[in-house]
Amino acid sequence: MKFDTLIVGGGLSGLTCGIALAKRGKRVAIVAGGQNTLHFYGGSMELLGNVNGKDVDNPIEAIAQLNENHPYSKIGADSVAELAKKAKALLADVGIQTIGDATHNHYRITPMGTTKPAWLTIDGMATSDKADQLPWNKVSLVYLEGFIDYPIDFAANGIRQMGVQVETPTISLDCLKRARRSATEMRPTNLAKIFASTSAVAQLAQAINNSCGDADAVLIPAVLGIDNDDVCNMLKAQVNKPLFFLATLPPAVTGVRINAALRHYFQMLGGRYILGDTACKVVTNGDTVTEIRTTKLLDMPLQADNYVIATGSFMSRGLVADFEHVYEPLIGLDTNAPDDHEKWSQYGMMGDQPYMSYGVMTDGNFHPLKDGKTLTNAFAIGQILGGHNPVVMGDGTGVSMITALAVANQIK
Amino acid sequence: MNNKNNHYDVIVIGGGITGAGVARDCAMRGLSVLLLERFDYTNGATGRNHGLMHSGARYAVTDKESATECIEENMILRKIASHCVEETDGLFITLPEDDLGYQKTFVEACRAAGIRADIIDPAEARIMEPSVNPDLIGAVRVPDASIDPFRLTVANVVDAQLHGADSLNYHEVTELIISQNRVVGVKARDMYTGEVKEFYADVTINAAGIWGMLIARLAGITINMFPAKGALLIFGHRVNKMVINRCRKPANADILVPDDTVCVIGTTSDRVPIETVDDMRVTDEEVRVLLAEGEKLAPSLATTRILRGYAGVRPLVAADNDPSGRSISRGIVCLDHEERDGMAGFITIVGGKMMTYRLMAQIATDMACSKLGKNAVCETATTPLPGSEQQKPASGKQAFAINAAEGRHGTFASKIKYESDTDRAMVCECEGVSVAEIRYAVENQHVPNLVSLRRRTRVGMGTCQGKLCACRAASLLGRFSGNIAKAQCDLAQFLDERWKGVKPVAWGSALREAQLTATIYQGLCGLDKAIARKEDEK
Repeated sequence: MKFDTLIVGGGLSGLTCGIALAKRGKRVAIVAGGQNTLHFYGGSMELLGNVNGKDVDNPIEAIAQLNENHPYSKIGADSVAELAKKAKALLADVGIQTIGDATHNHYRITPMGTTKPAWLTIDGMATSDKADQLPWNKVSLVYLEGFIDYPIDFAANGIRQMGVQVETPTISLDCLKRARRSATEMRPTNLAKIFASTSAVAQLAQAINNSCGDADAVLIPAVLGIDNDDVCNMLKAQVNKPLFFLATLPPAVTGVRINAALRHYFQMLGGRYILGDTACKVVTNGDTVTEIRTTKLLDMPLQADNYVIATGSFMSRGLVADFEHVYEPLIGLDTNAPDDHEKWSQYGMMGDQPYMSYGVMTDGNFHPLKDGKTLTNAFAIGQILGGHNPVVMGDGTGVSMITALAVANQIK
Repeated sequence: MNNKNNHYDVIVIGGGITGAGVARDCAMRGLSVLLLERFDYTNGATGRNHGLMHSGARYAVTDKESATECIEENMILRKIASHCVEETDGLFITLPEDDLGYQKTFVEACRAAGIRADIIDPAEARIMEPSVNPDLIGAVRVPDASIDPFRLTVANVVDAQLHGADSLNYHEVTELIISQNRVVGVKARDMYTGEVKEFYADVTINAAGIWGMLIARLAGITINMFPAKGALLIFGHRVNKMVINRCRKPANADILVPDDTVCVIGTTSDRVPIETVDDMRVTDEEVRVLLAEGEKLAPSLATTRILRGYAGVRPLVAADNDPSGRSISRGIVCLDHEERDGMAGFITIVGGKMMTYRLMAQIATDMACSKLGKNAVCETATTPLPGSEQQKPASGKQAFAINAAEGRHGTFASKIKYESDTDRAMVCECEGVSVAEIRYAVENQHVPNLVSLRRRTRVGMGTCQGKLCACRAASLLGRFSGNIAKAQCDLAQFLDERWKGVKPVAWGSALREAQLTATIYQGLCGLDKAIARKEDEK
C-alpha cells in the first residue's frame, strides 16, 4: 500500500500533521495504537508557559530565551507565530472553538485550584486573565455526588485563596443513580456518556438552578460533551447563571472530544486512520526509509514518499529506557540521552527531571538522525522530540501542534 | 487519652512492631501504658522488610536458637494474627551453581529446630510454584508465610488501647527525665505543633530499634549497635505464590516473598553510619545485586515491572563483652540498665526480628513487671489480636472492596460502614479500597497524613502506585479530617515519597509510569504550584 505520507502515531501531533497534509490533497495514512496523551488533557493547549522559573506572558517573545535544542528555536519565533495562528484555525475547522492567542497567555484553572498559563483554551472552560485573580466575586463549585475524580475541596481551597467566595453545593441526580451504585462507574467519560442525553442535561440544569443561590458563576466538572460541545451549550442555555467547566482527573472528556474531532475531520478529508495497529518494523536503505510494517498487517508493507514519526515520549512508548540505554524502538534513531541511568532522573519528584527532556536527535528541519546521519524522507514531531520539559515549561501541546504544522509545510 | 494524671506504670518508646507488642503485653497485664512514636507506626525497620513470616529455616544451620524461636512464634502468629498472615509456605531451592550436599545439612538442622522440612522433587516444585527457576536441582518445602507488618503493628496498638493504653504517634522523645540515677519520665515533642509535653512513668522501655541507640544516649548510656542496611525491590505483580529462598548459607537477595498484590526481593546487607539511618536510599549497586540474584530465583522477574526500591535498617547489637562488633547477634537483647549501667527504671529491648516481636515484648514486659512488683501472666501467645478473633469469613460473593477490607482488617471490617452509594465507591482499584474504608481508617486508626493512610489501607501501594487514587484519597482525607490544605500538601509529599522509591529503578516501565504521574500531577493538576503557594505563606 503506497501513500504520499505515512504517519506513525495518532495523537495530537500525528493528527495535526495528517490534517494539514490531507487538506492539501495528499494521500495520508496514520497508524494509531489507540489512547494517547490527550486523555490527560487539562482543557487548554499550552504554547510556552514557563521559562527559567517564571510564567511567560508572551510566548512568541519568550522563544528568544530558549536554548538552541528547543523545537521552537529550530523553527524560529516568527514562524512559530504563523503556525500558532494556523493551529487555532485548524482546531476551529474541526469544530473545537478556542479562546486565546500566541502573543498573550491567559490562565487555565487546574483541578487543584491553581492557575497555569495557557495558549488556547476550549471555549466554555473556566479561565482567567491573571495568574492570581479570578473574574468572579462568588462562585458555586458544583459537586456531583459520588464523583471522586474531581478533588473539589482542593479546587475550592485554591479558588478561595484567590479572594473568591466559594460555595460547594452537592447535586444528587437520578440519572446518575445507577452509576453511583457501582463502585467504579463514576468516572469522567462514563458520566459524559450519561450526559449525552438531553433529559440528563435538563436534570442537571434544573439541579444547578435550584442550588446555586447568589453566586456570580457556576463551575462544574468538565464531564459533558464527549463527541461535541452541543450538550455543553444546551446546559449553558438552561442554567440561569454564567457557567464554566473545570478540568477533572483523567480521562479528560475534553481531550477525548478533541481527539475524536481531529480524527473524524482527518477521515472526512480522505485520510486513512489505521486504528488499533502498531508499527513494528521500519526498513531503511541508506538515508531513506523504504517501508513500514505493522503488527497486524505484517504481510502488507506500507510505503510512502515521506514518513513522519509521531510516537510520543516514554509514556506513549515512542521512547524506551532499559537498564543501560534510552532508545527509539521503531527505527533506532539517535537520542540525546546519556548512557547512564543514574543521570536520567533525580530525587525531588516535582523538580526538572532530566528524562523529561530526552528525545530523538534531528536536524533543523526535524529530519531525525540515525547513526549520526539524517534520514532525508523522515521527520520526527511532537513529544518524541527532546530539548524541552513539557511539565515544567508548559509547552507540550504547543510543541506537538507547532512541529506537526512545521513539518507538514516542508512536505511537498 | 485514657490516663488523665500523666503518670504511667510504663512508657514505651518506639511504634514499630516491638514497641506496639510491648505496649499490648503491658496493657494486657494490667499496667498503665503510654506508647510514643516519633513518626508513624511502622516507619522504621518494621515497615521496610520483606513481609516474610520466617519459618526459621533460614537460620537453622547457623543459629539454632533463632530458628527455634522463629518456628514457635510462626505457629503462634498463625493463630493470634490470622488476618495479617497469608499461609503461602516456602521453598528452599538448590540451583546448579549451589552445593546440593548443603540440602541434607539444612534439612537436618531444620528438623532439629522443630521446623518441618520436606525434600521434594524439583519437578514437583515447579508444579507447586511455576515461577521458580526451572533449572533447580533440589527443593525443600518449609512453613514460611507472608505477613503484613502494617496490619500487625496497628492491630497491636489498637489492642493495647482496648486494654487501656494511651498511644501517640508523631511524638518524638527528645529527652529522658532523670532523677537520682533513675529515668522517671520523658519529654516528647509533638511533631505537628512543636509543643513539648512531659510524661512520667516508673519504667521506661526503649523499643526504638536502631534509634534505640540514640535514646539510650539520652541517658548517657552506650549500646553497641551496628546499623545494617537492607535494600529490597517490589515488583508490579505477584510473580510467585510461595516464598522462594536459596538453599545455601544466607546471602544477599536470596528471598522472594509474595505480599498481597505484589512480590518483594531482598535483601542486601551493609553496615551504615548511624547518622544516615533516617534517610536510606537504595543505591544503583544494590539494585544490580537484587535484580541479578532475584532472576535466579524466578527468571520472570527479569521482565516484570519494578515498582520501587526501599531500604530498612536492622538494629544489630554486639555482645557487651565485644566492643569490636565481631560477634553480632541476631538474637533478642533485653538490657536492664539498672543492673548494667546503674540507671534505674530503664529497659532496652532490641535485636531479634519482626518474627519474634511477641517474644521480645514478653521478655521486656516480664522485666518491667518484676521491677514494678507486679505478678501477671503473659497471655499474648494465646489471645488473638483484634481482627483475628475468629477464622476468616469464607466470603467471595461480596463486592471486591469489601472482601479486600476483610483481608486487611479481619473482623474489624464489620465496623466499616457503607451508608451511602458513595461509601462504596472505589478509591484505589489496585488494592480495592473504598471510600468507607478510608473514612474508617481516618477516624479509628491514627491517620494524620496520606502516608499513614497508605499503611493502614494499602491505598496507592498496588501496580499504579497512586496514579489517580492518591488524589482521591488525599481529597477524602482532607474531607474526613477537616484539614484540606494539609491534605493537599500530603498529596505532594506522598508522591515524592513514592518517587524516592521509584528513582533507583527509574527505567523501563517505572520511568514510563513516572512520566505519566508527573504529567497528571505537575502538568494537568499544577500540584507543584499549589505547594509552592502554601510554602510562600509560611
